[in-house]
Amino acid sequence: MKRALPLALLCALALGALPLVTSSNYFVGIGVSALIFTVAAAALNLVYGFTGLLSFAQLGFWGIGGYTTALTVVTFGGNFWMGLVYAAVLNGVVALVVGFPILRTNRHAFVISTLTFALLVALVARDWVELTRGPLGIPNLPPPRAFGVVFDSTHKFYWIAWAFSVAMIAFLYALCSSRIGRTLVAIKQNEPLVRAQGISPMPYKLAAFAIGAAITGAAGGVFTFYLRIIDTSFLDFYYMQTFLIIVIIGGAGSFWGVIASGIALSALPEALRFSADFRMIIYGVILVAAMYLMPSGVAGWLRERQIARVRKALQ
Amino acid sequence: MSTVLQVSDLRKAYSGVHALDGVSFTVDAGSITGLIGPNGSGKSTTIDCISGFQKLDSGKVVLAGNDITGRISHLIARAGMMRTFQTVRVYEKLSLRDNLAIAAQQFDAATWMDEFFRTKRYRVAVEASEKRARQLVDLIGLQKYYDIETGILSYGQKKLVALAAALMPHPKIVVLDEPVAGVNPTRIREIEVALQQLNQAGETFLIVEHNVEFITTLCHKVIVLDQGLKLAEGTAAEIHADSRVLEAYLGTTPEIAEEEMRASA
Repeated sequence: MKRALPLALLCALALGALPLVTSSNYFVGIGVSALIFTVAAAALNLVYGFTGLLSFAQLGFWGIGGYTTALTVVTFGGNFWMGLVYAAVLNGVVALVVGFPILRTNRHAFVISTLTFALLVALVARDWVELTRGPLGIPNLPPPRAFGVVFDSTHKFYWIAWAFSVAMIAFLYALCSSRIGRTLVAIKQNEPLVRAQGISPMPYKLAAFAIGAAITGAAGGVFTFYLRIIDTSFLDFYYMQTFLIIVIIGGAGSFWGVIASGIALSALPEALRFSADFRMIIYGVILVAAMYLMPSGVAGWLRERQIARVRKALQ
Repeated sequence: MSTVLQVSDLRKAYSGVHALDGVSFTVDAGSITGLIGPNGSGKSTTIDCISGFQKLDSGKVVLAGNDITGRISHLIARAGMMRTFQTVRVYEKLSLRDNLAIAAQQFDAATWMDEFFRTKRYRVAVEASEKRARQLVDLIGLQKYYDIETGILSYGQKKLVALAAALMPHPKIVVLDEPVAGVNPTRIREIEVALQQLNQAGETFLIVEHNVEFITTLCHKVIVLDQGLKLAEGTAAEIHADSRVLEAYLGTTPEIAEEEMRASA
């Protein structure tokens, strides 16, 4: 994990230069989505890949984050930056409240509960019309401003997405490569053993769930202001599916594997546009083939090969 | 010798069936105590109850003067009792190094803040843990696997890893649940030697095992359970001579049992 750090920094800088090398709104736009989806996927990786909690609640947190940021600006008179902070804090609190009971249930019940949570958030977004304006949504969100700069073009907005994702990924990296991250992996692999070693798994699980929720929420907030509109389609299962595919293809539990697959997979459907009619089918075929050949993701596949080499060397 | 673990009148019933019907025993500091008995005699229930992995109905467990009765498993571990499991448990996808480091991390003073700022407290803790890990790895002879994930090890080697992990935080007592079940004979000998060395270095063990020979060579004291009751207690020689034990353990008359036992040894 640590060996990849210099390469990751280089990639981050290269990605930061994207708006300077192309004037195409289209490419920069893909860049914005790729960065934000990667952050959301990295947050899911913390919860699912590291801690072993398959959570569909990420979609709900994404939606709550988006709406909180939009409403902070439109209804409550705050600005975009405050909105992001509120989104993160609100999601963290919601995750603690929801997580406290449902993390005590078994694995299957947990998955179902998180799925129900996501559907419930979508329902609230649609039916609490006074607050969310229901299916009409909240259009014309004002562009964010900071230090006299108005981030009103895709090129300018890219900097926000870039800075946000670099900060979040750096934070997640510090977390995942620490003792805490190692403990999360241990909990995923063998919970009774963790308990026998004096470690209480619950605070770790709850913290991972809440941190994942806060980051997903903030990512939802940034994405909302990139779209400049939020409506109930923001809670479409498409987003959850995207995050999950990124994590699974990259290799659940591999930090850099998921980051790399986030960038690659966000670009792939666009790269396949040459055959507009078939691109989603080709995308699907690539996904199935990848899963068939590498059931534990690209990173898992590389790791298995490495272990096979070690095993051979030891014989 | 002082008593490190005192178990008194342990009772546990599973929907009416008495798994433990008032079991009492003590473990002396620096000793190896064996717990044997036929299948269903309550050995596993006993250690699950004292280590907090099962709730006991009544009774008292005192560890080095602290009443730990009814505490949750991780708090009992923090009080100084480490245990292993019958079906071996290691972190298969983590290296041996990490397996051992995790086992000790709850017991040092370093917090996540210490780690983030790389304070002296963190460095000292990591150094101490690393030193202990190296010693234990030398003892179990798995030096060349130190940085490799433990999933590739054999079943017997994993048992050794579990043993080393249990010893990492200098516990007051280590409870081993069938340390040699399913392990090949040469490896059993290795485990035996390792346990003897550790015991000479001052470690205290409570061992649950089916392998009578293993128990009788190692243990200073043997406790025999049968149907949730303590049937006998004494040195290996005393247990061997006890006709009740032979009958309960082997279900035959003493003469035939003697013979069978000799044959199995």
